[in-house]
Amino acid sequence: MALLEEPIKEVRTLKNYIDGEWVESKGEVVDVVNPATYQTIAKVPISTGEEMDAAVEAAKAAFPDWRRTTPVARARYLYRLKELLEENFEEVSRIQTQEHGKTIDESRGETRRGIENVEVACGIPTLMQGYYSEDIAHGIDEWVIPTPLGVFGIIGPFNFPFMIPLWSAPYAVATGNCVIVKPSPEVPNSQMKLAELVEEAGFPPGVWNVVNGERAVVGRVLEHPDVKGITFVGRTSTAKEVICKKCGETGKKYIAQASAKNFMTIMPDCDVERTVTAMMTSFFGNTGQRCLSAANAVIVGEDDAFYKSFMDRVVEQTSNIKIGYGLDESVQMGPVRDKGKKDNIISYIESGIKQGAKIRLDGRKDIKIVGDYPETCFLGPTIFEDVTPDMRIGSEEIFGPVMSVIRVKDLNEAIEIANANPYGNGDSIFTTSGKSAREYQYNIISGNVGINIGIVAPMAFFPFSGMKDSFFGVLHTQGREAVRFFTESKVVIQRWF
Amino acid sequence: MILHTASEGITFARKLENDSAEFYENLAQRNAEDAEIFLSFAGENKKNVVQVERAYYGVITDAIEGCFAFNIDPDDYTLKTAVPDGTDYADILKQAVEIEKTIINFYTDAAEQSRSLMADVPRAFTMVARKRGNRLEKLGSFLKR
Repeated sequence: MALLEEPIKEVRTLKNYIDGEWVESKGEVVDVVNPATYQTIAKVPISTGEEMDAAVEAAKAAFPDWRRTTPVARARYLYRLKELLEENFEEVSRIQTQEHGKTIDESRGETRRGIENVEVACGIPTLMQGYYSEDIAHGIDEWVIPTPLGVFGIIGPFNFPFMIPLWSAPYAVATGNCVIVKPSPEVPNSQMKLAELVEEAGFPPGVWNVVNGERAVVGRVLEHPDVKGITFVGRTSTAKEVICKKCGETGKKYIAQASAKNFMTIMPDCDVERTVTAMMTSFFGNTGQRCLSAANAVIVGEDDAFYKSFMDRVVEQTSNIKIGYGLDESVQMGPVRDKGKKDNIISYIESGIKQGAKIRLDGRKDIKIVGDYPETCFLGPTIFEDVTPDMRIGSEEIFGPVMSVIRVKDLNEAIEIANANPYGNGDSIFTTSGKSAREYQYNIISGNVGINIGIVAPMAFFPFSGMKDSFFGVLHTQGREAVRFFTESKVVIQRWF
Repeated sequence: MILHTASEGITFARKLENDSAEFYENLAQRNAEDAEIFLSFAGENKKNVVQVERAYYGVITDAIEGCFAFNIDPDDYTLKTAVPDGTDYADILKQAVEIEKTIINFYTDAAEQSRSLMADVPRAFTMVARKRGNRLEKLGSFLKR
């Protein structure tokens, strides 16, 4: 298969988008590297705290007028953005593949998911309606008005660089707030493209800002008294120790979506063919760098013959996964985002071997890459058997293409070990039994539950949930909950003399 | 080389449509009498590409098995589109019938395999296969003249 054309053809230094202007940063500049080719494709500034201040000022200044812009008119800006996103769908998708490494099908999937959030936010005239009670007492009426708060910070992760900021930003601006998006400095290009489309859609200056950078700008947006809330997706340690603490200290609202260790429970009555295919996507899709990736395959039952034939099939299909540059349409798994992440995954593989798990497929060895690319960030899929939940590979988030197989005697045990894990982001069961599915769904402590679904990614009109140490906050991103998060309830009680 | 990903499947569908469109455009040039109908076939092919791509781009998400959608050997659907000079018109029509049968087979197989890509993609494939069935009837009627 021929390689699809790369959209980023020359190395340029990215700018910040503040107050409707493209502004050069005074901060140092670091390389953005394509993990497949290991070539620099852009230079991104690590902006200063003062530059974040400027963005907050711009957003604060834009807020009063934007709030007064009617919801119907605000929705029209979003309709224009949606149209522009459709027109630029392929370019936006290829940028993600070029800078992140995911396959083109995965990038297009990410683009579609992002656009769906814009579509849902277009319904803001009805989504943000309040409610009214007549005669709460004689001659007195009461109603609630969802009102915007002002400026919000949106801190994006590296694994879904385009989509995840769109879990928040469209709802924030639709409800009348102004935003500052801080993309991951590893993968900023799709957010730059999005900001260009925001500009083309004609959003007023200051409503949608983008500031590139790392800790300094995150620290500033967290401390800034004019920032009313934060949405964050990243590690549990950062969510807990930084986001929750800082937002608590400064009185900000927050949504912090965090780490995961997802359990896929496989019942002996499952549809084997479709379960195995779903496992390929769930464990190895996005090269395992997904907070909804399955990590532990929990195989239920003591039937050794079933286990052996099932695992043989899993190993065979996994061995055939084509690895390479995601702009080659035949590729089914791209590289890991960077070498440091690859090294971290390898350290987990080594710990698995050390702790006594049986390595059935070793992703470190004999990686067959389609095309002539450096091995730097590539890693094959790994499968461990005889894993126990107390091993590091069975309990901690690896964030890579590693499947840890755990055998249990029955469904209760499967649920127990999943519930004992500190995380509860996305867990699933594969079965043809309605009873097992119902029991699982009822008892599992997890924010997103799949029944014969490998990637439990909620649609834009449902909240992206999470439980235990996978989520901190009250309301979630996406849909109606995002609308609630980005508004405050103003209750009015009225009497006329 | 076996095609596995959704993207490969769509690209292959596009190739079949474009190659057969080119075949009909050539045919239209050779046979003034039936030119209009052959050009309409070529135009329909372009619409088919739009229909299939729209279905794919509309439903592709990370919740579905996009990278493991197909198991298609393109060699099973090779089209013979070259028409040597001096080929008898009836033989060209027979060649067109074979092209249509091959493409129908592709869409039918692809629809069956792509059930996991939500309903839209297999439905688009099935609709295109059905349209081509109508085309087969027309080509058959030409052969009977």
